[in-house]
Formats: sequence, C-alpha cells, structure tokens
Amino acid sequence: MKKFLRYISPLAPDDSGACSVLYELGGITVICDAGGCAGNVCGFDEPRWFTKKSALFSAGLRDMDAILGRDDRLVAKLALAQQQLERDFTAIVGTPVPAVIATDYKALERMAEKKTGVPCITVQTDGTKLYDKGEEEAYLRLFKTFAKEKLPTRKGTAAVIGATPLDTGFITADTIVSQIKAEGFEEVKCIGFDSGLDEVKNISRFEKIFVISPAGIRAGNYLKDNFSLDVEVHGCPLPGEYTDKLKDLRTGGRTLIIHQQMTANAVRDIIGDSTCGTFFMLDKTAAQEGDFHIKDEEDLAEKAKGFDLIIADISLKRALPEYKGEWFDLPHFAVSGRTFQ
Amino acid sequence: MTDAYYITAADLAAKGFENTPDELMSHKHMIYSSPATLDFNSPGAKGFGVKRAGLAIPGSVMLLVAPGCCGRNTALLNELGYNERFFYLLLDDTDIVTGRHLTKIPKACREVCESLDYTPTAVMICITCVDALLGTDMERVCRKCEDETGVPTVPAYMYALTREKRLPPMAGVRKSVYSLLKPQKRISNECNILGYFSHVHDDSELYDLLHSAGIKKVRELSRCSTIDEYHDLSRANFNLVINAEARYAAQDMEKRLGIPFIELTRMYRLDKIRNQYRLLGQALGAEFDDDKYYDKAKTAVDNFISKHGKISAAVGECVNADSFELALALTEYGIKVSEIYGTVGERNFVFIKKLAQVSPDTRIFSNLSPTMLNYERKTDIDVAIGVDAGYYHPDLPCAQFNTEEQPFGYEGVERLLAELDEALAKEEKK
Repeated sequence: MKKFLRYISPLAPDDSGACSVLYELGGITVICDAGGCAGNVCGFDEPRWFTKKSALFSAGLRDMDAILGRDDRLVAKLALAQQQLERDFTAIVGTPVPAVIATDYKALERMAEKKTGVPCITVQTDGTKLYDKGEEEAYLRLFKTFAKEKLPTRKGTAAVIGATPLDTGFITADTIVSQIKAEGFEEVKCIGFDSGLDEVKNISRFEKIFVISPAGIRAGNYLKDNFSLDVEVHGCPLPGEYTDKLKDLRTGGRTLIIHQQMTANAVRDIIGDSTCGTFFMLDKTAAQEGDFHIKDEEDLAEKAKGFDLIIADISLKRALPEYKGEWFDLPHFAVSGRTFQ
Repeated sequence: MTDAYYITAADLAAKGFENTPDELMSHKHMIYSSPATLDFNSPGAKGFGVKRAGLAIPGSVMLLVAPGCCGRNTALLNELGYNERFFYLLLDDTDIVTGRHLTKIPKACREVCESLDYTPTAVMICITCVDALLGTDMERVCRKCEDETGVPTVPAYMYALTREKRLPPMAGVRKSVYSLLKPQKRISNECNILGYFSHVHDDSELYDLLHSAGIKKVRELSRCSTIDEYHDLSRANFNLVINAEARYAAQDMEKRLGIPFIELTRMYRLDKIRNQYRLLGQALGAEFDDDKYYDKAKTAVDNFISKHGKISAAVGECVNADSFELALALTEYGIKVSEIYGTVGERNFVFIKKLAQVSPDTRIFSNLSPTMLNYERKTDIDVAIGVDAGYYHPDLPCAQFNTEEQPFGYEGVERLLAELDEALAKEEKK
C-alpha cells in the first residue's frame, strides 16, 4: 500500500527542514502549529536545541484560532515576542493546520511586517513533504529577502549552502569548513550553520558558492542568475574517520548508497562505481545515470533487489527483511535522528 | 531585551486567579519549547504522549494516520521496543484538504494485521490536528476497520489544538485505553488505580493501606501483561483516581461498567497526606493505621533538614508532583524555594495563595514564555528539582524526580528527599 510505513518511522518533514535553515540566523521563527510540530522540531529534528539557543517558538494555535482564522492573534503574539526579544526579522513556518484552513501567507507576512517593523518571511510548508523541500524554500526566501545587491567579490572566500544537521549529520560546521578550506579557501562560511544573517545579506561577496545538498540548488541558481556568482555542486563532506573506513571497504558486486544526493556522491567518489538511491530530491545536475528516487518502503524493497552492498542509515535495514547482502552504516539525521558525532 | 518574566507568589496571590498576568497564560503568547513544553508536546524516549500511551493495552498496535511531521519523533520510542507496534499511513497535501484518506484507513488496518504473525488485541488509530479540523467521525471509521479486520479498533485523538479544552488529548487517551473493557461481575475486594501509564512504586504504602482495608487485589493498567489481565480491570469494585487527567476515564467506566471512583491527589505535605488517607478510609469504611508510614517520612524530613540545613531550591514542573504543591511542602519543611517554573491554573492557585503567606518572595516563571530564552539566575539556589529546573541551572545539583514509576504518599516524600540528598551528595564530592 502506498504511503504505508511498516518498518521505518516517518522521515524529517518539510517544516523541520525550514526551521533547520533558519535556526541560527537570529530571527524569531514561529512554527504555525498547536504545539506538536514545534515539539517534533525542538525535541527531535533539531540537535542544536539544547546546545545553541534560538528564538524558535510554537504559535500555540487552538482549535478556534484555526476554525475562525484568527491571524490577527497570531500577529499580535509575534509582535509581543519581537517587543520582548528585539530580533532582526521574523519567520513563519507552515504546518498541516494552516494548510487545512488555507492560510494566506502573503497577508500574514504583510500584517507581521506592519506590526513588528522588521522583515517577515513565510515558508509554506505543510508537514506532508520531506525536509529538503522546506530547506529549499527557506533558502530561497532568505536570499530573495535579504541579499539585495552585488557586493565586490572577496578572493579566497567560499560560502556553503545546504549544510544543516539534517543533511550533513553534523551539529557544527567545523568539518565542512576545514575540508573546504583544505581545497584552497581562506574563509569559508556555511549559511545558517555557525553563521548568522550577515552572511545571507552579504552572500554576493563570496568568490565561490558550494552547494552540498539538493535543497540548496534552487537558491544556488537564484544567486547565479541574480548576482552572477560562481556556484558549484560539491560532495557533502564526511568525517575523516568515516572516510578512512570507507576507503578500507571492500566493494565487490553492485553497491547502493542511500542518502541525500550530495552525501551519496561524496561516498561514491571514495568507493567508486556505485548507484545512489534517495528518498529525497534527485537533482539531475548532481545525479549520475542509474541513480534513482525511492518513493516509499515498498519502492525501497523493490529497488534494493540485486545489490550486494548497501551503504545507508542502519535504521533502514529493518525495511529490507529479505535483503541478504552486506550493510555499511551511513547515518542520516533526516532518517534516523543520528548524527556522526 | 526583556528579562525572563516572573511574578512573586505574593504579587500573584494578591492579583487573584482571574487577573493572572498574560505572561503566565499560554494562549496569550508564543510558546517556548522548554523541556517542560517538550514533555507534553513531544514526549521522547521517556514520558508518555498520546502515541505511547495509546499502546497501553497489552498486545495492541497503533496505526498513526497523519502527515509525516506528526509521527516523526516516534523514532525515539524505537529504543524502548515500540517499533514493532507502530505503523503509519502518511497523508499528502490533497488528503489533508479533502479527507480522502479516510477511505484508505480500513485497508491500511488490514495491512497492519496481515503483516503481523499474530493477531493484535486491538488496533489503536491515532489521528491528529488535521482530522480535528476536518471533523472526522473516527468512531465510524473504527467500526469500518473492525468490519474489515475483525480486530477491535479504537481511536486515539492526538489533537494538540484542543489541549486547553475540557477533554485534552491526554485525558482522551486515558478514556480510549479503558474503552475495550466489558461489564462483568464486580468483586467487592478488588480495585483499580487509575492515573498514570506507569504504576505506582511497589513500596508505596498505598498498597499496604488498601490491603489493610480488606482489598485483596489492586490492579493497574501498566501491570497488565496480557489481554486477560487487562479485562480483569472491569471486575473492580471501585477505581482510585490519583491523577485528575484520569477523571474522565473513571467517569466513563462508572457509566459503562458501573464502577464508582474515588479521587485522591498526590501531595507532599505530610499532614495533608495523612488527612487524605483518613478520608479515604472513611469512604471505604475502614480506619487506616498510617502512623508508621507518617513517622518514617517525618523522620526522613527531619534528618534531611538537620543534614543539609536551610538550603534553597528551584522547583520545575517536569517532576512527579504539582510544582506549586511541592514548593509549598518544601517551604513548610524548612527549604527555601527561590523559584518555581510552572503552569498556573485554577486548581493549583490555592497552593500559590498559601505559598504567598509562607514564602512571599518566591518567583514564579512560566516555562512556556518566550522570555525564558533570556533566563538568567538571579536568586540563590542550591539545588534544582525537576528536569526543567535542571535545564535552567546546568551548573547546580539536580534531583530530576521524574521517573516513569510513580511516587505516591509518604513513600513519595521519602523518595524525593533521598533523591535530593543524592544530588547534593554528588555536588559535595566534586
């Protein structure tokens, strides 16, 4: 049965992805929900919740707020929070509740900006899609709102888009920054990961933009089109010790890597001939021939047939009870909530 | 930036419940996800939310019918062995607007049952805010599922939107998990304890006192390991409700099964515990001799105070107690309560009034207020009590006092003090 999960828990949803991008940017992020969605983000999908403070709140909607469409109350609460916390911007992230009642996000955005006096971005997630869709929209909305002009290019600088704990399995940007620096850059910033809103505003100063997950591709294209930036898809950095283990891996027969496309590409670069399968966005510019998208558990069981080695999050193994080949664990936070650390 | 909002017990009591400041009323502001908030919005590997609680019926499985975001944190329950019991029917954007998913639920139920190598005792169908807004008649859907599978099917409503209503989700799910019980002959010397999804600690005097009143069998849902043991719950002569969230379930059992109930409150003030037992004895037609339990707890209090002197505490609400009643009890024992992180309600305002008399300067914060993002300690605190209090004071010793098994009565007081003593002893060792 389609959309029926027997073995694995639901994957990280779009609202978690949007929050992950916004988390460190210093704004007030409001999840437009009754509490459960914010609970899922802060209590599970955001490993930084207990180490880095962020003004990430639930709107605390109640049934009559939703039924009567009391957007004015939501905006009043947002204005109160802004008055108390004085942040540079606000963001409203959608969930199933505003999707069911067809909330007018554009109106909400205007009302919020008028009431708080700071920019507001809305991300129209609905909790039914996967995290990369939410990240994709959040990156795009951020750059469209805050990156206003082409700044002079600073040589030796690189910015990374698509680096979130959900994509990378890291809770700090250290590994990514050090690996990109090792490629010859003096200054490397991961957007929204150990960096703030200034890097979003000044994105056009970077000599190079690396996109390390499919969620960043549309934003990368936007920056290329609007600021003529040098944007390149890049394999998602892996921890050094994990890379060493991969190098020691014997890979006879057919190998399947399951992750987000750019992490799978990075693994493929190390182990050689292999196929990437992903539950998330399959971007043609980053994919190789034979790579495929996985729709659900049923589809995974079908497409995993014939592979001798699977490199994927170990939690997925349960979904393949018939699989008799080898398995090499590749943590994916958006799947199991496990980091590399 | 605004400092974390607080009000002193004296000022709050003077205002009265009707004039509780907006900062302490959750529907007046955004909600901050403190550990206490997460405790009820997204209980993880510890604690019970609707999803885990819904599986309290032995041998049952759960089908979560919701957008992926609602089931995401269920992965946390896998480590407790629940992954064999959860199934998901994920909704897409068309489903949540049109409600077309409702026709798929019976088929999904069949798939759940067919995928197992045993017949589940029940399928709990957990639905979320989406169906609350669509006005889904889940009882009807469950009947269709039963027709499809032959397995009893029960709705569990994870409606976060209705959390402040008369029947919040955690009260609703308590009714759900007892709803399969059928009327049968009641046995005069048997009773149930209703309240939590874990049982009361084995060494609580509550069991001894009930036995002394002639009660031979005391049952609790969490102690039922088979469906037969579960069905024995309807043999009870009466239900003891030790948590107000189980009141609705008890009312339903009274109506359907003819089992009356007596409500008790978990307290930490020794005299109040004694008084409550006296009243319970009267209701049961027995006279409880609780002297030895009282004396033991009183000695524990005296020993603690003589050992640690006048320490100061911060009391949270991620704790097996009402934070205000606990703060009042501690104050009466001689411990200074500098701060409380809690949710002010009509029911516990009575404790705030009393607290205002004995500790007027105690600061009351709301765990839900966005201003808690700016919280900084500005009072003297030696020990934190509760997971949330520990979160605000990571540098201080902390007694979490938040086990799944539930403390009750004099034993609860002793257990609390033992945990506090242990936390303070660890600090001394440092």
